[in-house]
Amino acid sequence: MRALVDPTSEQQSVERQLNPRPSSLSGRTVGLLDISKARGDVVLDRLAQRLEGDGATVLRYTKPTFTKPAPVDLRHEISVQCEVVIEALAD
Amino acid sequence: MRDGWVAIVKQDCPTCVLVAPVLRQLAEIGPLTVLSQDDPAFPPGLEVVDDRELEQSWRLSVETVPTLLHLKDGVETARTVGWSRGQWETMTSVTGLGPDLPDHRPGCGSRTVEWGVEADLERRYGDRVLTSRTVELADLEDEVEAAYDRGWTDGLPVVAPTEARVLAMLKGTSHAPDEVVATVPPDLVPCTVEKVAVNAVMAGCLPEHLPVVLAAVAAACTDAFNMHGLLATTFPAGPVVVVDGPIVARLRMNGDGNALGQGNRANATIGRALQLVVRNIGGGRPGGVDRATQGQPGKLSFCFAESTDEPPFAPLAERRGVPGSALTLFPGSGTVPVVDQLSRTPESLARSLAAVLRVLPHPKLAIAFDALLVISPEHGRVLREGGWDAERLVAELDALLTVPGAELSRGVGGMTEGMPPGFESVPVPKFRPGGLLLAYAGGRAGLFSTVVPGWVNGPGGSEPVTVSIEEWA
Amino acid sequence: MFLASSEFADAALAQTRAVGLAVPYVLVPHPIQDRTDEELTSLADQAYAAVLAAVTGNPG
Repeated sequence: MRALVDPTSEQQSVERQLNPRPSSLSGRTVGLLDISKARGDVVLDRLAQRLEGDGATVLRYTKPTFTKPAPVDLRHEISVQCEVVIEALAD
Repeated sequence: MRDGWVAIVKQDCPTCVLVAPVLRQLAEIGPLTVLSQDDPAFPPGLEVVDDRELEQSWRLSVETVPTLLHLKDGVETARTVGWSRGQWETMTSVTGLGPDLPDHRPGCGSRTVEWGVEADLERRYGDRVLTSRTVELADLEDEVEAAYDRGWTDGLPVVAPTEARVLAMLKGTSHAPDEVVATVPPDLVPCTVEKVAVNAVMAGCLPEHLPVVLAAVAAACTDAFNMHGLLATTFPAGPVVVVDGPIVARLRMNGDGNALGQGNRANATIGRALQLVVRNIGGGRPGGVDRATQGQPGKLSFCFAESTDEPPFAPLAERRGVPGSALTLFPGSGTVPVVDQLSRTPESLARSLAAVLRVLPHPKLAIAFDALLVISPEHGRVLREGGWDAERLVAELDALLTVPGAELSRGVGGMTEGMPPGFESVPVPKFRPGGLLLAYAGGRAGLFSTVVPGWVNGPGGSEPVTVSIEEWA
Repeated sequence: MFLASSEFADAALAQTRAVGLAVPYVLVPHPIQDRTDEELTSLADQAYAAVLAAVTGNPG
């Protein structure tokens, strides 16, 4: 365990912050990232249907293999095109 | 530790081996505690306390082995180091110690004073000196990325501020870590010596650089310098640190070739540390309170020393009333080189300099903006040979830069920008009194000087500030 | 956020801790591989509310 001394005025919490969450997905672009484990696509298909039913625009992506982190280009593409990402299905 | 005699030894010490029989003698006479720094089976035939962790040795401030000391009611009453029959017998009031031994033999270094060990022991067993909170990194977090992710950097990677590094940095000043150096804008947070040290570590400073950083932070946060205004302006200005005095040589700062450029650790890291404090403690960052439209590279770090190589005038800080090791903080907005490779007289050189000064940051704006003119050694030679000192040069420039106000009015020359109404019928100086500062730096070759255009002065603007560095040592 | 089967729960927690970022996740009942399409569709429906809550930050 490595500890660094905080160089700031300590007016903010140490936890790394997630991006702010949108309050609803209607009108938002949601990315569904399939990590390529078998049968995950069926689950994602249904999630896509439900999301579109709730007014979201759904974009689909696939990781080349589930054994390694997503390639930089894929991550960049998703981060530019989507406001929210759902990754599935790890089992 | 129980009262009585305490002996601290290590097996890897011929004198400790020599006195082992003496310790056995003492153990039969009175209470004796033996601490071994490297081998709990040494000395043989005695009950030995294993101090391989060196905690007891550190707490007893042992520097030499063997050390023999006496405790009464938990307090040390006597101590001797090495072997000397006379001293040991006096201390213990026992005669006939070590009859087969030579009269005396010097000891060896205690393990606690081996290279690097002392700092580690202080960190482990010393009272916790640091009061800043610590941020624990996750196992897979890279130290460099961790700083970026938390917004601690100026865009370049920083040195990870570990406790050990911060403690080492704090040795660069005699001031206490919890002493408040300044209240840093824009968040107006009290900034301690410790917090400056953390940012100095990140910037890449050595402990000996810390006093300069502390002085710079103190200067920047004065009302006169107005760091808040300097941050919040859309104009591209940032603090420029000019260092004078014996500390320049001691820290090996650069006032010579490429003094305003890259490559010198002290120059680069001191300037950077100041900016990191502004960012991390004060909360002033681009996108937030820092609203610079374009900015400039000097906002990463801009710190240099004046040259001591045949200066034509006294150091800037001394001329501003602070002799010795001192720094001047100037709100600078970049650098503009001035070419003059032909002037043989100071009169001619002054005209070249004035011609460039006249147009910065706009030919028709006067009085409101200050400037720092950095004379190079070759230009300095022209001044020196002509017998001109700083006052003479500034007086000449002021005269050359005073023009009829009508030339500066808005609309004149087809330029809408210019002086507001009210100046048309008077001569208008480019600079307010004291608004043009002179410094001396650079390498021996090159017939160029540099103008560092400033920022606005007056209320709402910034006043250059000169402070002593010596008080921060 | 990510979806994981209940078998993955410990690994999911460890991973978020290891990178130091508390990414939200939703667990679905194990097993996955040998379920029919209808079962997986139903599983997605059951998880949907939790997925929405995770990405919008609304308790839902």
